[in-house]
Amino acid sequence: MTMGQTILRVENIHKELGGKAILNGVSLSVRKGEIKVLIGPSGAGKSTFLQSINFLVMPDQGRVWLEEKPINPTDKKALYEYRQQVGMIFQDFNLFDHLTALANVEIGLIRVKGMKKNVARGRAMDELERVGLKNQVLQYPAQLSGGQKQRVSIARALAMDPKVMLLDEPTSALDPELIGEVHSVIRDLAIRGMTMLMVTHQIRFARSLASEIVFMENGRILEKGPPEKMLSDAECSRTREFCSKINEMSGHLC
Amino acid sequence: MKELIYLFHDVFPALMSGLWISIQLIIPSVIFGASMGIIAGTLSVYGHPLLKVASKTYVTIFRGFPLLVQLYIWYFGLPRIGIYFSPMAAAIIGFSLCSGAYQSEYVRGALLSIKKGQLLAAHALGFSRTKTLLSVILPQALRRALPGCGNEIIYLIKYSSLAYMVTCIELTGKGKILASASLKYTEIFMIVGAIYLVLVSVASLLLNRMETWLSVPGFEQHRA
Repeated sequence: MTMGQTILRVENIHKELGGKAILNGVSLSVRKGEIKVLIGPSGAGKSTFLQSINFLVMPDQGRVWLEEKPINPTDKKALYEYRQQVGMIFQDFNLFDHLTALANVEIGLIRVKGMKKNVARGRAMDELERVGLKNQVLQYPAQLSGGQKQRVSIARALAMDPKVMLLDEPTSALDPELIGEVHSVIRDLAIRGMTMLMVTHQIRFARSLASEIVFMENGRILEKGPPEKMLSDAECSRTREFCSKINEMSGHLC
Repeated sequence: MKELIYLFHDVFPALMSGLWISIQLIIPSVIFGASMGIIAGTLSVYGHPLLKVASKTYVTIFRGFPLLVQLYIWYFGLPRIGIYFSPMAAAIIGFSLCSGAYQSEYVRGALLSIKKGQLLAAHALGFSRTKTLLSVILPQALRRALPGCGNEIIYLIKYSSLAYMVTCIELTGKGKILASASLKYTEIFMIVGAIYLVLVSVASLLLNRMETWLSVPGFEQHRA
């Protein structure tokens, strides 16, 4: 696959929380159509890293570029503009609980993009249909299964026409039976060429999609490389140890 | 017979005119009180630090001073510094600010109960702070605050009876005048009390309707 221009570039992100260094200078870049998967033990800083990319967590240090344009997070308007272009998927979905599936997808289009209601509705319906939820559009989050909720949240992010998607363990809060439906939606995104940065421990899934696997520990990137190499023959012994463990686990699961 | 004539000729017209005054006191006080409650509660959670302090101070003072004392200050005290309110205006201001102080605490509690993920998701979509608050956080929080605020509105209906202490002769005031003239304290105040009971029942019916109307799966009030 030929890769295009760099979509997202993050340099030297540092973050301290409660006197403890969570991120110690993390740098990464993602090119158009590329899918990078972040793995690492819990507490490695993966979630904090994803959240500092779109400044949901304000990094103490570090810079971010979208399509080679530097982002200044203190400029509120520019920040809101930037966040619209970076779709984010959370582990626990974070659907707006008081809104139907349809309204969850519409609300950003109406309130943030200023789209007309009927236009937004059409777009939201399209996105929900694409994730296979045509028949659930009027249901509230409390009436949906975990897998359906996550698919709504993907539709909500896609409706904003993001240039890159950040996915923070999109299936780790799901029953094993529901993981598949979310994976197939993400796989569909990959086929359509969506640029993604994803934290996941679904290693088979990662192996089949990722252009690169990035191993993080203690707020640092220890090693990165193509999935085959990372998962079977990593250079760093710590990476090897971690990968062999999750390989073992996925062997049981799949 | 004499009693019935007194009842229909004197008592009812007087009490009905008093009731009308009471309603004119209660409705604006509910509206302003709820608005104050929402504003003060929201600022105490999401406001600029200075506004947080301002809203805390407001709540402390207006929950701390007895309502009657507040009414005396609005009506009898402020003219000393050249600020004059009509009896009705003084009563509405007093009720609204006091009710708002109580309601703000329900709003604050409800805001704190909204999961942080809701905020993160809105920000991630590009919502500004204000838009997040208006489109995502408040619609959820106000649903949660409604039972508590409704309770406060019920109180407000009853403490509107203090208005006659600042010469705004509403239902209780009319009752007092009738009772002192006829010395039929028990009868008159039983009727007055029953009218408040009707008002409160209507209000709680309306509040229940509103809860049902606003109820959304996942936000229903779980009634036993």
